[in-house]
Amino acid sequence: MGPGTTWYIAVAAVLFGIGTTGVILRRSPLIVLLSLEIMLNASNLALVGFSRHFGSVDGQIFAICVMAVAAAEVVVGLGLIVAFTRRGMSLDVDTVTELRG
Amino acid sequence: MLTNLLILLPLIGALVVWVSPLPREATAALAVLIALTEVAVWIVMVAGFDFASPVLQDGAQREWFGDLGVTYHVGFYGFSLWLAGLTVVVGAAAIGFGAWVGRERARAYFGLVLFLIGAVVGVFSSQDLLLFYVFFEMMLIPIYILVGVWGGPKRASATIIFVIYTMAGSLLMLASIVVFGLSQGTFSLIDSGTSNNDWVFLGFLIAFAVKAPLLPFHGWLRTAYTEAPPEIAALLSGVVSKAAVYGLLWILLRHFPEPVDDWRTVVLVLAAAGLVYGSLLAFRQPDVRGVIAYSSMGQMSLIVLGIFATNDLGVSGAILHSVSHGLVSAAMFLLAAMLIERTGTDRFADLGGMAKGRPALATIVMVVGMLTLAVPGSANFAGEFAILAGVFYEGWGYAAIGAAAIVLAAMYTLRLISGILHRAKGDAVRAESLDLRLGELALLVPLVAILLALSVWPSAITEHSFPSAPPVAEASE
Amino acid sequence: MIAGAWLCLLAPLAGALLITLAGTHISRSTAAWVSTGSVFVGFAGALVAFIQIAGENPDDRSHLSTAYTWLGIGQFEVPMQILVDPVSLVMMMIITGVGGLIVWYSVGYMKGEDEERRYFAYMAFFVFSMLMLVMGGNLLLLLVGWGLVGLASYLLIGFYHDRPEATAAAKKAFIMNAIGDAAMALAFFLLISQTGTLSYSENFEFASTGALPTSTMNLVALGLLGGAIAKSAQLPLHTWLPDAMEGPTPVSALIHAATMVTAGVYLIVRTHDIFEAAPNVQHLAAIIGGLTIIVAGVIALVQWDIKRVIAYSTMSQIGYMFLAAGIGSYGYAMFHLFTHAFFKALLFLAAGVIIHHLAGEQDVRRMGGLKSVMPYTHAVFLIGALALAGIPPLSGFWSKDGIISAALADGGALGYTLVALGLVGALLTGAYTFRLYYLVFHGEPSELVLEHAGGHGSDHAHGAESAVGHDEHAHSEGPLSMLIPVGILAVLSTIAGFLAIPGVWEPFLHWIDGVAEPLVVATVSQDYATSAIAVVLAGTGIWLAQSAYRASEDLVAEGRIRTILEHKLYFDELYDALFSRPSELVANLLREKVEEPVIQGSLGEIGAGVREAGGGTARLQTGLLRSYALVIAVSVVILVVVFVAVR
Repeated sequence: MGPGTTWYIAVAAVLFGIGTTGVILRRSPLIVLLSLEIMLNASNLALVGFSRHFGSVDGQIFAICVMAVAAAEVVVGLGLIVAFTRRGMSLDVDTVTELRG
Repeated sequence: MLTNLLILLPLIGALVVWVSPLPREATAALAVLIALTEVAVWIVMVAGFDFASPVLQDGAQREWFGDLGVTYHVGFYGFSLWLAGLTVVVGAAAIGFGAWVGRERARAYFGLVLFLIGAVVGVFSSQDLLLFYVFFEMMLIPIYILVGVWGGPKRASATIIFVIYTMAGSLLMLASIVVFGLSQGTFSLIDSGTSNNDWVFLGFLIAFAVKAPLLPFHGWLRTAYTEAPPEIAALLSGVVSKAAVYGLLWILLRHFPEPVDDWRTVVLVLAAAGLVYGSLLAFRQPDVRGVIAYSSMGQMSLIVLGIFATNDLGVSGAILHSVSHGLVSAAMFLLAAMLIERTGTDRFADLGGMAKGRPALATIVMVVGMLTLAVPGSANFAGEFAILAGVFYEGWGYAAIGAAAIVLAAMYTLRLISGILHRAKGDAVRAESLDLRLGELALLVPLVAILLALSVWPSAITEHSFPSAPPVAEASE
Repeated sequence: MIAGAWLCLLAPLAGALLITLAGTHISRSTAAWVSTGSVFVGFAGALVAFIQIAGENPDDRSHLSTAYTWLGIGQFEVPMQILVDPVSLVMMMIITGVGGLIVWYSVGYMKGEDEERRYFAYMAFFVFSMLMLVMGGNLLLLLVGWGLVGLASYLLIGFYHDRPEATAAAKKAFIMNAIGDAAMALAFFLLISQTGTLSYSENFEFASTGALPTSTMNLVALGLLGGAIAKSAQLPLHTWLPDAMEGPTPVSALIHAATMVTAGVYLIVRTHDIFEAAPNVQHLAAIIGGLTIIVAGVIALVQWDIKRVIAYSTMSQIGYMFLAAGIGSYGYAMFHLFTHAFFKALLFLAAGVIIHHLAGEQDVRRMGGLKSVMPYTHAVFLIGALALAGIPPLSGFWSKDGIISAALADGGALGYTLVALGLVGALLTGAYTFRLYYLVFHGEPSELVLEHAGGHGSDHAHGAESAVGHDEHAHSEGPLSMLIPVGILAVLSTIAGFLAIPGVWEPFLHWIDGVAEPLVVATVSQDYATSAIAVVLAGTGIWLAQSAYRASEDLVAEGRIRTILEHKLYFDELYDALFSRPSELVANLLREKVEEPVIQGSLGEIGAGVREAGGGTARLQTGLLRSYALVIAVSVVILVVVFVAVR
């Protein structure tokens, strides 16, 4: 049998919380990216958990899609970070405020 | 089927013009060709049209959002076919003018004008409220860009003002459409019944009052008509404003009998005031386009008077006057453009004395001027007469104000004619400011010819608009 | 018959269109002859119709011919139709006959003028419009013709469009007439709302059976009267006519003497059923006419412009016609219209010959002694002047005295007042006409006249071509195309009066009676009594003018009265203060105090408001990614909470 669906969701929620906290609190873009990955995988876990619960494969397929997107995102994110270091800019997300209105 | 063609031809034409990498002249020629084909399609439609039948003709229907009761449903009645005819003819003249002066960025320009024509035809043919709204908003996009990019020096503020006004009106209308459609269970203009909800009525009314424009909602008019390229101003005042006529007539009169009764006095008073206000201001404008702009406001107020007379005479007169005013104001704007091309200005202070040695220009200005002031015997006169005779039933005061406004119209139009043609030669009028050339005559003469033909036989429109009674729902007691 | 009438209507229109469309492809003289020819073709058509109708039973002479529905809306239908009956036939023959002569005259008068083609196109268009007015078979077509003649008049008054006075005069004429049109249109709206139709016969039926309340009929008749006095330059809408003399002289002859200005009289005769149902309004027409006779007559006494004197005399004579129509003597109203068309056209054209000869001079103070230089013109002018003054046996005598005797027959306070006004008018007519005659033709030739007496014509104001045309001058007084029409009109002015000799032979009156039965008929003794008095008064007027001229004085001595008259009783000043200025003031006020600050100004406010709001919102955009993320997270939490709570 193993643990019930509730546990999967609980773990996913905890992971998601950790990830969110990381994104909001940490300054290093590298850690922010890491936290983002944690959030994504938290949702993946939830998807797979529900998928098992309802006996449908939809969620699992969706989780695979999310992984692919996450991989792509990491590639872009890491590329940006490399570009940052090359230009000698500080690795602090608070100094990047180009989006300011 | 033909209706679909009439709507889609300019829209597809717009796409073709946008994407085909043709040089400027070829693009212009292609656009003119499409516009003329559009006119031909319209003529074919008129030839096959049964004006005695009160049902929708050349209809086409497709489910769109089934669960919301929204359909793509288009087709024509007698009166809307005339409005569509006005659109395609004035549209062709505008495109012709654009080609004649060789507008910059031709592909974008002609594509947008074609798109505008398609949208307006869509407005006049739609039988579904949401579809009507879509076309109504579609008109806005090309106008916005055309005025903003190809307009005069103050085009930026003109477009912003225009958009703020019309968007405010449109949003109210959207809210009204949603409420009305949901309460009726359908958005179809044919199937839905009547409503007595004042707020819904007012939402529509304000949207159309902005479009027309009626008295306090006309703030956009002066700058938009002056800053727009003249041929776009011709489309704006001649054609786009008639979307309000269609809306007032086909939505409000048919579906809101009680609010129409309750608010009639308000609308009539506003329209009568707008008629006098526009005519008086037209009398003091320093330039040709200013006069036409405010005169348009006056004439549109007159048309609204006719519609809210809600009787045979008023409503049929309003349709006739819509068509003849559309043609005449388009011709006027094109003339103003040709003047500007010759002299660099359309201010009366710098013009004058152009009749000498320019017989074609003098003749056209005089004829169009006389049609503008609705000289008895003209189609414009027939329309005005019917409107005022119709509104007389609602109160002699409106007719009296209308008659006074006819005198005012005579005053400002004669001032306009004299300002261009008569007195001593103005500073801006040089010897090389030539008479109208063949290409320009080819644009103006058809407009004038149609107006003269309508003057000989105004019944062509009045007897072929509403086969049975006018579209006025009876207010239940 | 009907075909002839349609031909009469359409031939001048075809002429006008042909000249307009042909543009410079036809020569100037071709345009002139096309115009003249088309009007004469119209006359032929009218003649054919006349001959056939004259042969018909007098009770059966009214024919309505419908071509198609011009304006049809539901139950309301206005057909394009013409009405051919004795009254419209008289008008048709005057319009095309006198009109044809005047257009023919213009061939010589306008020769060498710039834009000659335009002139002839306008003239043919005017004839068409005027025919439309009199032939239109219902009230709306009457209004159409009414407006179109106003347009033609505007175009022709402003023909010399580089002269600011001409343009201003043209505008004034059009706007005054537009006021009249508006009054008529209102009357029609009222009729439509009551009877639902604008057909003559049905409305006359309603009027004569008393089916409509008197108040309605009064308003309708007032509206019609408003149109009539504007078009016919009667008090108080008369100020445009003297200014209209800015147009070429043949135009003054055709439009502002013979035809268009008499349209008001035609209107009253045509719609006499409506006026009879509103007797007070009909009497008002008579009173207005009577007052105009006097006012125009006294103003004419002090004018120096040859054409303005004749213009005021036209107003005064139309006053007689209004007087006649107002008391219901329709036959004499039409008869005076008929004779007046001849002798007034004659006077204008003769004046035109003089003006042409003197290179455009119109001031009588610079004329004088023309009798010896222009004997032919002198003779025809004298015929016209005598006819105008009402000296027997010339035509004006028969028609004018018929009107005065009809007023006498009407009796009562109104009738006797009108008789008095008419008789004073006869005195004034004699005085101002012969003041003009003596100033122009008698005495020593002035410098200007001498200058043009010998090698005249070489320095015409009418351009270089007149020197070329000079060879055609068989007569030293002008080209034949001018002199022949003038001669024909002189003959007509002499003999036209014999169509209504009281008690002896009155075919003209019987002709009109078939359409409009007169309300008053004078006895033969009344006729002769008034005639005798009127002729004596006219003779007195002539004698006054002559003795004043002999004494080298003007009829009205310098002083306050003369100043008032020279200002034309201050009507222009009054209208300026009452209407022109206030409307300009209101327009300016609206523009400066409402449109610009409120409507356009509020736009600025809206724009500023939007910009400010945008600035405020922009401050929220810190650009800090972490704060964005926080906002998103908090929003999600709130949404979830709300979602759960609402469930």
